[in-house]
Amino acid sequence: MKNKPTGILFFPAFDWAISPTHPEREERLLYTRDQIFEEGIMDLPQISEYNPKLAQIKDIARAHFCVPDVAAQVTEAHLVSAGSTLVIADALMQGEIKNGFAIVRPPGHHSMTVSHGNRGFCNINNEAVMIEYLRQKYHIKRLAIVDTDVHHGDGTQDIFWHDPDVLFISFHQDGRTLYPGSGFMEERGGPLAYGTTINIPLPPRTTDIGIHFVLDNLVMPILEEFKPELIINSAGQDNHYTDPLADMRFSAQGYARLNEKLAPDIAVLEGGYSVETALPYVNMGIIMAMAGIDYGNLREPDYKPERFKESPQNMEEIKGIVKTQLNAFKNRGEIVARNRAKNMDFEVIHKNIFYDTDYISEDQTERLRLCKNCGGFRVIHSSAQHRNAKYYEVYCISVPGYCCDSCHQEGISMYNQMKNKSSYDFIYLQDRIDDQYRSFDISKETETVL
Amino acid sequence: MLIGIDVGGTFTDGVVYHRNQILNWAKEATDSDNLAHSLLAVLDKLLMDIQFDEIERIVLSTTLVTNLITTDSGPRTALILIPGYGLPFDSYDMAPDSFFLKGCIDFRGNELEAPDYNEINDMIRHLQEMDITRVAVAGKFANRNNSHERLVQHIFAEKFPQAQVIISSQTAQQLNFPRRAYTAYLTARTIEMWNDFLDSLLKALADREIKAPVHILKADGGTMPLDAARNSPCETIFSGPAASTMGGLAITTGESKNSVVLDIGGTTTDISLIIGGQPLHASKGAKINEQYTHVKSFAVRSIPLGGDSVLRVKGDSLQIGPDRVGPAACFGGGSATVTDAFNYIYDLDIGSVSDSRDKLQMVAVSLNIPLTDLCHQVIQVILERLKNAISAMFKEWEQEPAYKVWEVVNRKPFQLDRIIGIGAASQVIIPILGADMKIEHFLHHCSPIANALGSAVSRPTLTVHVHGDTQADLYTVEPGGKQGQLGKKRSWQLEDIKELASRHLEELALSSGLASYAREAQFFREEQFNVIRGWDRLGKMFEVGIQITPGFIEEFKGVTE
Ligand SMILES: [Zn+2]
Ligand SMILES: [Zn+2]
Repeated sequence: MKNKPTGILFFPAFDWAISPTHPEREERLLYTRDQIFEEGIMDLPQISEYNPKLAQIKDIARAHFCVPDVAAQVTEAHLVSAGSTLVIADALMQGEIKNGFAIVRPPGHHSMTVSHGNRGFCNINNEAVMIEYLRQKYHIKRLAIVDTDVHHGDGTQDIFWHDPDVLFISFHQDGRTLYPGSGFMEERGGPLAYGTTINIPLPPRTTDIGIHFVLDNLVMPILEEFKPELIINSAGQDNHYTDPLADMRFSAQGYARLNEKLAPDIAVLEGGYSVETALPYVNMGIIMAMAGIDYGNLREPDYKPERFKESPQNMEEIKGIVKTQLNAFKNRGEIVARNRAKNMDFEVIHKNIFYDTDYISEDQTERLRLCKNCGGFRVIHSSAQHRNAKYYEVYCISVPGYCCDSCHQEGISMYNQMKNKSSYDFIYLQDRIDDQYRSFDISKETETVL
Repeated sequence: MLIGIDVGGTFTDGVVYHRNQILNWAKEATDSDNLAHSLLAVLDKLLMDIQFDEIERIVLSTTLVTNLITTDSGPRTALILIPGYGLPFDSYDMAPDSFFLKGCIDFRGNELEAPDYNEINDMIRHLQEMDITRVAVAGKFANRNNSHERLVQHIFAEKFPQAQVIISSQTAQQLNFPRRAYTAYLTARTIEMWNDFLDSLLKALADREIKAPVHILKADGGTMPLDAARNSPCETIFSGPAASTMGGLAITTGESKNSVVLDIGGTTTDISLIIGGQPLHASKGAKINEQYTHVKSFAVRSIPLGGDSVLRVKGDSLQIGPDRVGPAACFGGGSATVTDAFNYIYDLDIGSVSDSRDKLQMVAVSLNIPLTDLCHQVIQVILERLKNAISAMFKEWEQEPAYKVWEVVNRKPFQLDRIIGIGAASQVIIPILGADMKIEHFLHHCSPIANALGSAVSRPTLTVHVHGDTQADLYTVEPGGKQGQLGKKRSWQLEDIKELASRHLEELALSSGLASYAREAQFFREEQFNVIRGWDRLGKMFEVGIQITPGFIEEFKGVTE
């Protein structure tokens, strides 16, 4: 295990941008390219370079309900970005590498279960696509995602909200001060997966010291107890002290040490928009830490450790968060048991989701079957007006890969019943047990099966 | 009249080509202790019955520099590194006499840390005490700003003028500091012996009153005039395999099939790929002594297996090669070889089949197996090794990195159309390999000396790369390591940088006497990035590459079969 290399897949998408001046533009990984190529990272024996490939439409459908279909929501760039995480997943599971880092764009962690358009620079959730692939192909059940992007990973949270086998930990700048305005402590997961979503909203200007306090006293102990088969780092780099979109004080050394402690099996690049003064150094730091290379000589040109002292107020607040969330995690079993005992058929949740990039406002009603034997399955009624003025009303049924037979059968029969409801445009069934993804176009009365 | 000579590991081959014909050819065993001797022996054989004034060009491919490097020969050479921030210094383990200096440059060419004069002076004194006079200096991102490297070179000139100092930004401008440093180090170490060799060659030609221009074949399959070759010994490493590839291309000229070229020589087989009529380049640069360099090279794979690989019994089992003890038994050699096994079983009628049989029989007896079993066993092993090496080449090609969406979307699987056989033992092995792989094979009466033919008719290549950064007001040009200011006055467009690159290529072509090839140049890289801060565009970054690709000189119109 020790002697295997670290897999790196570098896909800067030098021919893709949301718009010419958008933070997600061609230039984003240019200086990172310069840095890692000049360092000769890919020539090192500790590193093995991998090549991108296109994800299949089915790989996307396993994680998302794309409205009206996958082709409408993804470009080739999204398929390459998502496909690249699958290359790293395969390399890891086939024993070629000890761990892997997909330095890819476009990013994905704001992308939710239902995708009507682009949210927070994301259309497709790369990590979710990869996790469903890992589960389907390699029968992995328990995973942990640690989202270290400065923004709350609301998309990933939404996708795994009801999944008791996916531990989602996100630390980020407090949602009262930053997009997307969520990720508060009391967001802890659905009724049957309570406690496996953990949010750590940090005060602005938190430094390496504060983040490592959270890591040592909250994240690592929780991981220890949860015992995931794999740890994924949703590796955003916008906590950096030079990021133009956020206000945190994290350094390249801090990121490197974080990855050394966390020892993720796979890291996937998310945000990070300080393209010149942070990304080249942070990406190097993560690579070096994952590959076990001494990163003592790595630093940003203007980095002065003494400038980055945690304020006593911040430290006080962080200690409070750690204490609260550690308790919540310890008590999660009790709360899930209480929810099950309510003896309700379905728990109903209403949501409104705003897509900032595409100015789409989506209304959702989500129902979770409160199953006695498993995490249940969920149905989502979603409606939104797309940018092209088309209004869609869709009904989505999502059957998890690890659910009981009764939930599986009920999901299928619900899909068949709904096909007769003319009030919807599309009915979708995500059947992960049979690895089949159905979509029924009501007006045309045609079915697509992936 | 064109002359090509390929000094290989086992044999030195030479041809004289004129108007679709091979007028003369020669083959001699290579004397690895005296390459010039083998070279001149072949040359003298070729020159019999030839009017010297009709010789238009002589092209040479030689293993000299490769041998110097792989046998760790050459004067003691210091490698002075200026790595700045990033990887730990102990990751740069490429030269026994390595020294580290303060100083740091970033990817935009900004100075992040200044050099320390006292440290430089101390180091120079130290080298003087140790009497090390060969020096390579390499700084991280010196390709974007070489002021630190030049400063060190300057102080050497003042304090220790006897030292010969090579700086990395002049040997290569591409990204990859370790490759650049290693290339500079190898250059510093071999340049003197390389020039001695060229001088002795020129003297021998002068003695023979030959005035034709001499070119040296490079690893990328192109030639360079001898004078231009003086400063870049490393360009000649792996020119042997490049000669093979160009030879394979020359005997199938005008076709654009996807082919694998196998040069099966005495003890090694070199394998390369031709995709749509163009040889495949190694994207990482030539690798020597387990280190990558910045030498542009074809993607070649060498395996220690050739027609003269000897068959032995070791313990109870058969061992094939990797060495050669002489020619095959059928040609009067003392031991059974790979060629003998093919000769006997397929009744190829090469030399004396009965000699092949007798020597093979001795091996079979020692192994206590029937003679035919032995031969099948040998052939099985050979075919397996060749097939494995070929599929490893494909795999390597499929794993070429891609950094743009369209490159990933347009990637096609490699469809092999044909095997081209060249080299001394190709006639023996290639038909059997082709039948086994169910792939068309191609052999030519020139196959045994196609490598020398490839050298004789290859045209010069030239690659110019320009990096431009309008915000930093900087541009750099490879080769030569020129760095300058773009000038802030105007707004630079991609077209302007392309013109700049094109002009540099023309100038360079002119100064090396290659002007007539400049119009063949093609752009292979055109990238531009907007530098955006906030919502404003502060500048543009450009990467432009233009090259004269490998090909054949105008006089070459194929070889009649
Ligand atoms: Zn972010
Ligand atoms: Zn159930």
